[in-house]
Amino acid sequence: MIAGEVAEILIFPGLTFFVWIAFLFDWLDRKTSARMQQRVGPLVAGPSGILQPVADFFKLTSKEEIVPEFADKFIFFLGPPLFFAAPAIGIIFIPVFGATAIVSNEYDLLFVLFIIAFSALMAAFLGYAAAGRWSTIAMGRLIAQYTGYEIPLIIALITPAILAHSLSIAGIVQAQQNMWYIVLAPLSFVVFIVSALAELEKPPFDIPSAKTEIVGGWMTEFSGRPLAYIKLTKNLSYAFLSALAVSLFLGGPLGPVLFSDPALQAGVDFGYFLVKLLVVGFVIFVIRTALARIKIDQAVRFFWMVITPLSLIQLGFIMLVWWK
Amino acid sequence: MNRRMPALDPFVIAGPILVVVADVIVYVAVGKLGTKSSGKGGKYQPFTGGEEQIPARGTYQSELFVFAALFMVVEAFALILAGCFASPTNFYPLLFLAGGGGVILVVTWWLILVGGMRY
Repeated sequence: MIAGEVAEILIFPGLTFFVWIAFLFDWLDRKTSARMQQRVGPLVAGPSGILQPVADFFKLTSKEEIVPEFADKFIFFLGPPLFFAAPAIGIIFIPVFGATAIVSNEYDLLFVLFIIAFSALMAAFLGYAAAGRWSTIAMGRLIAQYTGYEIPLIIALITPAILAHSLSIAGIVQAQQNMWYIVLAPLSFVVFIVSALAELEKPPFDIPSAKTEIVGGWMTEFSGRPLAYIKLTKNLSYAFLSALAVSLFLGGPLGPVLFSDPALQAGVDFGYFLVKLLVVGFVIFVIRTALARIKIDQAVRFFWMVITPLSLIQLGFIMLVWWK
Repeated sequence: MNRRMPALDPFVIAGPILVVVADVIVYVAVGKLGTKSSGKGGKYQPFTGGEEQIPARGTYQSELFVFAALFMVVEAFALILAGCFASPTNFYPLLFLAGGGGVILVVTWWLILVGGMRY
């Protein structure tokens, strides 16, 4: 019983499964942007280059780790696995087969919100600990951006909770059996996707890691295994936030019931979940390729003047119309 | 009102701990693959082409960073308090209020001690 739960958390449908999804997202992201820019993209490792992210990860882990002279050694080494832990913990609360997650609690959405905030602050810690010029500038940008997108992100994620009268992700999925919340709260979904782009540091909000301005941003001083972990974490966050969007706005793994046998239907639900996950991921891939980077003051102003009011308007509408 | 708090699934606590432990074990194990060096120079030193390298940052204090830390503490405090909305008694709201207030007190104390309030 316990071994089964541990296997679910660490292997399938938990951590290992989502790490492979993260690699798949990285490959799809690179392929999509390449196609949109008239390039070929990854081609060599595996069929159509699908194993390129895996190859990149293992190549990086075997490279030399350089520690800058003034770096905070403790955070520099312990930070990357803690940064990785944030989305890795978050995914165990995501329902993948039917409306139940591996681990579920009445208040797990709040825990997930805290994890998202922790992830951003951990990135700032890492940039600060690296003690480099570029990472310091990037850290300032990261924090400024974080204070801009965090509030609308929370409001966007609380809106489905209000609709479902539940702070449990599994509870919110169950409440969408008849109607997906993207229909009832489309603005919240848009706000979530925009805020997720900022959380993931994807264009047009890739300001903290703007390669043409500040080298590698807050990751500049990292190399070898810590850099491999940081890159993997960013892809895992990509998959995690997409899965969260699927759970809170697109009904999670729920869809038309095709089989009376629960085991067969669970397989179908898993298929629904994967399709929805790839659709949300694809939306993010396309947006991030199509848009150019904006400046940090423009980003913060955009979040405070446009996105936050939008999230509040949607929340107010929901409370007025749908609150029972 | 006779509402009772549901029993807590032990894996709600054990699951995240398990993930962190597995994560750190894999991280340490993977670390055996690569070589390490420390102390001198930065990552881009081999690529400076003879030009003077950008100096290391050295000691740096960021008020923005302190602000972000406070922002996150208050946010966590607000989230936990929000989680008490269905609490059958006032025990949890008071507990989290005291906990959150204590955290803010400690952080503010630390901020004053490190000179964050000095202008």
